[in-house]
Amino acid sequence: MGLRGARDQIVTPLRVLSIGIILSIVLAAVAFISLSMGPAKVSMGTILGWCAGMGSVDQTTSMILANIRLPRILLAGLVGFTLSLGGVVFQALLRNPLAEPFILGISSGAAIGAIAGIVLGLGFSVGVPLLSFISALATILLVLGISSRHGGLESSTLLLTGVIVNAFFTAVIMFFIATASDSRLHSMLFWLYGDLSQSKYIQFSLCLPLVLIVSGVIYLFSRHLNLIVGGEEPALQMGVEVELVKWVAFIGISLITGVVVAFSGIIGFVGLIVPHLMRMMLGPDHRLLIPASALGGAVFLVAADTVARMIISPSELPVGVITAFLGAPFFIYLLKRKGSQWNQD
Amino acid sequence: MKEARFRCHVARSLLLLLLIALLCCPLQVRASTFRDSLGRKVVLSAAPERIVSLAPSITEMIYFLGLDDRLVGVTRFSYFPEQAKEKARVGTYTDINLEKVVTLDPDLVIATADGNRKEDVEMLEEAGIPVYVVNPRRVGQILETIEAVGDICGIAHRARERVGSLRERVARVEEAVQGRSKPLVFLVINVKPLMSVNHSTTHHDIIELAGGRNLAQDQLVTYPRLSLEEVIRRRPEVIIISSMEKGGEHERARREWFRWTTIPAVQKERVHVISSDLIDRAAPRIVEGLEEMAKLIHPEIPWD
Repeated sequence: MGLRGARDQIVTPLRVLSIGIILSIVLAAVAFISLSMGPAKVSMGTILGWCAGMGSVDQTTSMILANIRLPRILLAGLVGFTLSLGGVVFQALLRNPLAEPFILGISSGAAIGAIAGIVLGLGFSVGVPLLSFISALATILLVLGISSRHGGLESSTLLLTGVIVNAFFTAVIMFFIATASDSRLHSMLFWLYGDLSQSKYIQFSLCLPLVLIVSGVIYLFSRHLNLIVGGEEPALQMGVEVELVKWVAFIGISLITGVVVAFSGIIGFVGLIVPHLMRMMLGPDHRLLIPASALGGAVFLVAADTVARMIISPSELPVGVITAFLGAPFFIYLLKRKGSQWNQD
Repeated sequence: MKEARFRCHVARSLLLLLLIALLCCPLQVRASTFRDSLGRKVVLSAAPERIVSLAPSITEMIYFLGLDDRLVGVTRFSYFPEQAKEKARVGTYTDINLEKVVTLDPDLVIATADGNRKEDVEMLEEAGIPVYVVNPRRVGQILETIEAVGDICGIAHRARERVGSLRERVARVEEAVQGRSKPLVFLVINVKPLMSVNHSTTHHDIIELAGGRNLAQDQLVTYPRLSLEEVIRRRPEVIIISSMEKGGEHERARREWFRWTTIPAVQKERVHVISSDLIDRAAPRIVEGLEEMAKLIHPEIPWD
């Protein structure tokens, strides 16, 4: 592992901790700013008072803060956290810089379920998320099943299978959209572009424990991921149970991605941009990269969703439009200036 | 002699010409030219006998005018009245199957400016089929359009009679709500994402006629997507959810609103569901939609 720059080489627990704390502070700051932004003007002072449980806030304002903005910020943070974590893990496991949490067909699988739910007229609180989650998991099992024909999971076969399954499901989605009645079309398109406008606490609290458990397990594997990135053969020789790590990570990430996508719709680019950004800034060691990417993803999506809420206020854009619109040029700028550090491994 | 014969010949020819001209005259009189809502010229040689409707709203107009025996083709979702389901289908109104239209051999096609594609209209014209395009936006324009359709089909009198009774119903509503306070109405046309209507829509006109104020009238987009926060901030006094089907999903959507207890509409339990067919379609039933809307906005009026 030929790492450049002395700063990147040493990953001490202290460094992980300090960067974790810095990013958490940034996240809190972004969340606070986001809380103060919206069509209804609420001053920072009012929000500080409200957070501390002091000061008089009128009922409408407190309802807007507590029941609209806060659950949305929380869910946005959790979704960003999950997608970015998925990105960093998949990029390592598949040893491919283009990998992101949707690459194995989770997005299109979830979309099929969601659209089927919308066509059937199911509600957005239970029916649609449940169907989308089930079909996301079924898709991932299908892809893993196809690719593991010879006992092991081979990365290139897995990638190819994911791409093909995605293509097939995209055709099915296009069919649904082409034949949809007008009234359902909007719901479908907004789901496909990612939408956090109807976030509720219950969604956050359903996702949170699952995301925490899976990310904890993944973090235990971070040293193994470092070795797998260097090649599966060498990793095997160094005693890494490559197959086990792969299965656990694929299933775990798919599970949490499926859950958050069911509530948020498909939000692209987060899982691609944030891990690369963090890799450029902090180096390729997964012991640091995993927590940094996850927290960075939360910051990025909370910020992007705030822009989505504000840019054509009082109307709103789907957040997926913002992540791609802001993310892609920024990413290209960084890539041009610093170059991808991917090939240095 | 010769000259006399020549003169006779000329006279005979002139007579023949006159006769031909006379024969031709009624034909020329019968061919009539109409101007549609886009200002296009539509020339019909006779009253149309085979009509294809390119939108559910037009189908409803044709049934309302009692012209259903001349209707040979309709679009998908033309399910009102019930009998319309038995007519031949020519695709959906955004995606017309032109080949199917041509096979039905229509002598008049009626299209809408906002729903049908311009390309489809042009293709039909090139095939030599007259296309009359309607484009009603306000309730008054819908009624005028029904009369215009009656006109072009040669039943102007009947159309005026039937539309007259619709006009009376509209006038009754206007009279009843006159001088009353105008509650702020939030009309939900899509639940997720939350969408409403601006001032350029028929829905807006219905809300105004029914004695309400449209919460989203100032928006730039025709069907704006509003943030929930903005709706709560504007404090609507009545919330009306336009629904495709009864019960189920929209009953849930209705109950969802009761979480936002600071909205006056919620406090006074004035969150209602209205059938979208009555207010979405630029058809005679729009008057029924107006009456429904007025009842929801002004329940204090003793409607009979």
